[in-house]
Amino acid sequence: MSREERVIAYVDGELGASDAAAFERDLASDAALAAEVDQQRRLRERILSAYGAIAEEPTPDRLVLSACAANQNRRFGWRHWAAIAASLAVGVTVGFVVPHQRGALAAHDGVLVARAGLAQALETQLASDTGPIRVGLSFKDADGDYCRTFQSTPDRLAGLACRENGRWIAHATLAWSPAPAPQYRTAGSELPPAVLTAVDELIAGDPLDAAAERAARDARWRR
Amino acid sequence: MPEIRSQIVALLPRLRRLARVLTRDTVDADDLVQLTVERALSRTDLYRPGTRLDSWMFRIMKNAWIDESRARGRRGVVLAAEEDGLQVGSDGAGAMEARLAAREVEAAMSTLPEDQRIAVALVLVEGLSYREAAEVLEVPEGTLTSRLVRGRQALISRLGEAAR
Repeated sequence: MSREERVIAYVDGELGASDAAAFERDLASDAALAAEVDQQRRLRERILSAYGAIAEEPTPDRLVLSACAANQNRRFGWRHWAAIAASLAVGVTVGFVVPHQRGALAAHDGVLVARAGLAQALETQLASDTGPIRVGLSFKDADGDYCRTFQSTPDRLAGLACRENGRWIAHATLAWSPAPAPQYRTAGSELPPAVLTAVDELIAGDPLDAAAERAARDARWRR
Repeated sequence: MPEIRSQIVALLPRLRRLARVLTRDTVDADDLVQLTVERALSRTDLYRPGTRLDSWMFRIMKNAWIDESRARGRRGVVLAAEEDGLQVGSDGAGAMEARLAAREVEAAMSTLPEDQRIAVALVLVEGLSYREAAEVLEVPEGTLTSRLVRGRQALISRLGEAAR
């Protein structure tokens, strides 16, 4: 190991215990070596503090969404289902919605959490309830958490959220606006295919029927 | 959310940081992060649970960057990232001084050859061990160490003795 390699390995904590002890003995008797160690330490600190700030910057929503995108399956990735959504229906806008911190979804600890009216609808509404926010299918995922699909007219958003640790966490979101003639559509067909794909990916067993949905709601979605 | 996705989301700030070192450009950096995330999600079956997810993603990013920069034919082109002018502003002199210092370091880093730049970033910024960093870069440990030595010598001479 060259002198320089030894210095940086020491500064980086890469020397084994006995090598480090030997190095420290050399340090005590070699002022030039000690100065090199100091210099390397200062550089290390400078670099760390310069780049520390970058990791503190807020993460752009599009990156959070790309990690949360509903489908990781290559043969049926989100581009694919976005294309299907585009070819199918009125009312489905292709692409992910960029959520705003003040909107229906907020990024917290790296996940998108439903808030405000959307959180309340997911918590309290039944599929049979009407209103600006509609909840569609309810089901359990493999972990036993409850998940529900939603369509929000005010937020122009459709998606799927699961209740984890008391929060409704969005697993798929899609820009969405109500079809012009909703009376011609059945409850199932209203859901954008993208959301149905996300349901397929997460569902364990069958969707809850109306009685089970009500019971789960009344039990506040506890597992 | 499948667990790996939330872990990836938690890694995003560090992925952005490494991408900044690689691309030397804030917009390109975020594009590279997105490409990395998409690639990672398309091959989660290759990730071995219990191993470091950050190292695994860093390696995907490194390879994505190599592909990307080959495609764009701009390897080795030095870009000065000067787009965000220094704002003397509400956050005061201390913050501005910190930004200046950070920018000085970033500018010095951006003059390093790419292989030294990423070696320095993985070890000094991301805190990987030499072995882990060598695995990310898919080079022998000795190669990594010599890149670290050369990169750091260049940084010290550029940043000078004014190191605070």
